[in-house]
Amino acid sequence: MQIILNGEAQELTPECTVFQLLENKAVTLKAGVVELNGKILKQELWQSTAISDGDSLEILIFMGGG
Amino acid sequence: MNDIIQGINPSDDSLLIGGVNLLSRLFVGTGKFSSHEIVPRVLEASGSQVVTMALRRVDWKNPQENILNYLPQNTILLPNTSGARTAEEAVRIARLAQAAGCGNWVKIEVVQDQRYLLPDNWETIRATEQLANDGFVVLPYMSPDLGAARRLQDAGAAAIMPLGSPIGSNRGLQTKELIRILIEEISLPIVVDAGIGRPSEAAEAMEMGAAAVLVNTAIATAGDPVFMAQAFRLAVAAGRLGYLAGPGERRVTAEASSPLTGFLQEG
Repeated sequence: MQIILNGEAQELTPECTVFQLLENKAVTLKAGVVELNGKILKQELWQSTAISDGDSLEILIFMGGG
Repeated sequence: MNDIIQGINPSDDSLLIGGVNLLSRLFVGTGKFSSHEIVPRVLEASGSQVVTMALRRVDWKNPQENILNYLPQNTILLPNTSGARTAEEAVRIARLAQAAGCGNWVKIEVVQDQRYLLPDNWETIRATEQLANDGFVVLPYMSPDLGAARRLQDAGAAAIMPLGSPIGSNRGLQTKELIRILIEEISLPIVVDAGIGRPSEAAEAMEMGAAAVLVNTAIATAGDPVFMAQAFRLAVAAGRLGYLAGPGERRVTAEASSPLTGFLQEG
């Protein structure tokens, strides 16, 4: 299926949850945030939320800034 | 160092923002450091309690560690909304930062101009109003303008953060007179943000009556950022003490400091 991840179109197979996607990407998001289709997805929902075709995801973390 | 500053500055001279009594009047940004590892040492040397950071997309090819992992536990996190071009984008970033566990403080930064990174006061006012209504402690970065500052105050800002000169320019207090007017006319704390490049400029802002200063580039790009953080800590404390002491009047002509009688050659 096609998703948009951080602004880029990507093919995602097999189907997975948000949590699994982060695991596959080897990203530790201890204090990060996920936005799914323009809405903030709470961390407790990452494991139970399956990604669907056409979904748009933003995965954000804090970086140095002034 | 703690003892020196706490010894010279009155212990009841705390700065109240968002219901928190801050003992340090130096806010520090975490951008542009050569590595995350130096950040904890810089923050310790600075004595700062309020620290800024930015929210960005994860870079899959080069995943960076979260800057929050390098900040002391009791730090007040002040995420900025850098990258926002409109009030709506700033509000979205603020909410994302809050959802990421950043608390409810936010530095509003709305910029369209990419050459000088000057803030858009109008969009900043709109974002401030919305986020203050939502319960955020809002510290807007703004171009020093009295009318805009009054509107930010009415919109519910917790402090006003005028720029001294363009972000990252290290050019000091180019807007000094406009900041002076804000300090005189606005009852909210005025935190000079952006452009301060030397400890002496931080001291000057504090002597003028600024409530605090926010420094990033001047520390991060110094030859020794830890020493520079310490220098800013002392400069801010010294400037604040100078302000509290009440500087004497300036005069055009001389006024002798020594007695004008009893000279040797008299008589």
